[in-house]
Amino acid sequence: MKSAPSFDAVDLEAGADVPDGPSGGFGLTTLWTLYVLTLRQHLHGKRWMIIGALFLLPAGLAVLMRVMDPKEPSVSLEFALAFMLIPQALLPLAALLYATGVIEDELEEQTITYLLIRPISKWALYLVKMLATVTTTVLLTVVFTVLTYLAIFVGGDTPAATVLSRCFTAVSIHCTAVCTYSCLFGLISLLTKRSLIGSILYILVFEWLLGNLPLAIRLITVIYYTRLIAYRTLPFVTPDPGSQNIAAEKWQFDIKSDPNLLEHPQLAICWIVLVAGSVAFTLLAAFLCSRREFYVKTPEKG
Amino acid sequence: MHSQLPREIAGSAEVKPIVAFHEVSKWYGNVIGINKLTITIPAGVTGLLGPNGAGKSTLLQLATGQLYPSQGTVQVLGQKVWNNPSLNRFIGLCPEQDAFYEWMTGWDFVHTSARLSGLSRSEAREAAAETLEAVGMTKNKDRAVGGYSKGMRQRTKLAQALVHDPEVLFLDEPLTGTDPVARRDLMDIIQRLGGEGKSVLVSSHVLHEVQSLTPNIILLNHGRLVAEGHVRQLRDLIDKYPHHIVLICDDYRKLAGRVLAWEDVEGVRVLATERGLMVETRSPDAFYGRLPQLSLEDGTAIKEVYSDDDNLEAVFKYLVKK
Repeated sequence: MKSAPSFDAVDLEAGADVPDGPSGGFGLTTLWTLYVLTLRQHLHGKRWMIIGALFLLPAGLAVLMRVMDPKEPSVSLEFALAFMLIPQALLPLAALLYATGVIEDELEEQTITYLLIRPISKWALYLVKMLATVTTTVLLTVVFTVLTYLAIFVGGDTPAATVLSRCFTAVSIHCTAVCTYSCLFGLISLLTKRSLIGSILYILVFEWLLGNLPLAIRLITVIYYTRLIAYRTLPFVTPDPGSQNIAAEKWQFDIKSDPNLLEHPQLAICWIVLVAGSVAFTLLAAFLCSRREFYVKTPEKG
Repeated sequence: MHSQLPREIAGSAEVKPIVAFHEVSKWYGNVIGINKLTITIPAGVTGLLGPNGAGKSTLLQLATGQLYPSQGTVQVLGQKVWNNPSLNRFIGLCPEQDAFYEWMTGWDFVHTSARLSGLSRSEAREAAAETLEAVGMTKNKDRAVGGYSKGMRQRTKLAQALVHDPEVLFLDEPLTGTDPVARRDLMDIIQRLGGEGKSVLVSSHVLHEVQSLTPNIILLNHGRLVAEGHVRQLRDLIDKYPHHIVLICDDYRKLAGRVLAWEDVEGVRVLATERGLMVETRSPDAFYGRLPQLSLEDGTAIKEVYSDDDNLEAVFKYLVKK
């Protein structure tokens, strides 16, 4: 093969017959299909069963505690289960399990190729998959928060309208928190290859350790704003005479020197921080995604 | 390396190439995948040949915009490929990795691929049905991909690459691990696509696969272009070396008896752990040609055929030294 000959003339002439510049970016069909595909992926994994089992824990505990101590005030149960256990442990966990896999799952399973070769930008790919992930985590949160409220209040003395109102507030707070956690962990998954470990470390150090300290550093945690919203919107006062808001002490709010928490962000600011944080994390992650190469290990590359 | 093997691409300056690499290099850390590759690929079917690790998959991933070149430029249909998703409407890729959404049925997978490519519901339904029919998967389309044989999986992968009717197809080792019947069918499909005016770049480490599809080949080794041109010249070199073909079959002892009777078979080694045979032959064309018939007539269910093609490496060494 001293001198490899040319391709024949017929092929070369055919080569001139290329389409003019491809037009259009991506369509709604592509985006919608990707959204549905991601939701279906969530349904087919085992994750939702694990998360579902964990999310049943507060409802199960509520039933157990009511059976063991029928006089326990519903507000105490609500505080311990719906505002300690769920936002501190279950919401970050649900977000962690779903959001760190937004891109990483496709990479690990080598299916990302099927998405990268479609007419969809990588930033849009990320946004749609994150939207589907938020949908899943929010749906799980709504269902299991409502179940928890049912387990706490059904058959109790609290008027139905009050329960409904408190449940709606709790669902709103939890959904916002899980959304922020999801967006944050989605970003972490693009910043590090060990996103699961990185996200767990974040939860342990920031949300569990720093978030529980009465220091200014807790202003960078999601749990702080979640608690502040809960504190400012729901009274956690038991029917016992002279009882105080049980949340203040547990959440390290110094209501003796600052009864109205004037030194803390106001309600609107808390909502804005969580929503703006979610948007900022998502946009940053989408930007990173648009610039990144995704290596799929082929048998050749090994 | 390549400068030692002068080549001509007549008229390449006058026509728009389908794929154009200019001084392209791609590194993975300290490992080089593609090394200063300059090549233009015209319309029609072209074989991309090279041993494992030659850079074939890297080239295809660069050409489909999955990877960004460390150096140089890559164009397909006259357009840059990196971060140009609209170009993907005109491109189809059958990737090498055997990965699927395993829980989907074949129909679901191909239909979803069509929808992801922007086809409307009715268009996607029609396209999925036609494509699955074209690759011979209509009968099994409602089974979960997770239960498919290797041949069915390759057919389904090809279907997802074809479903949006692309202008250019990149097929990465599409015949790997397939049984003789699937191999013949897939080859027929690829040839048909070429006949329909599609441009196809098909990679393989087995010359005899590629030459059945097209006489136009590109030879890669260690990320460099070794040669390009007509397959005939390479064949003469290749056939100086014995060719090793592995056949996987439950009844491999019976199969050994059958193939040993063939005159062009020089030796057979039993691979008991793999439940297969390694056949040595200097007439691989004739050998491959007889396999589908053997599989059908004799009831010898050959599950998988592949070639390590270590002789190709020998040819590369020969070419490089020359």
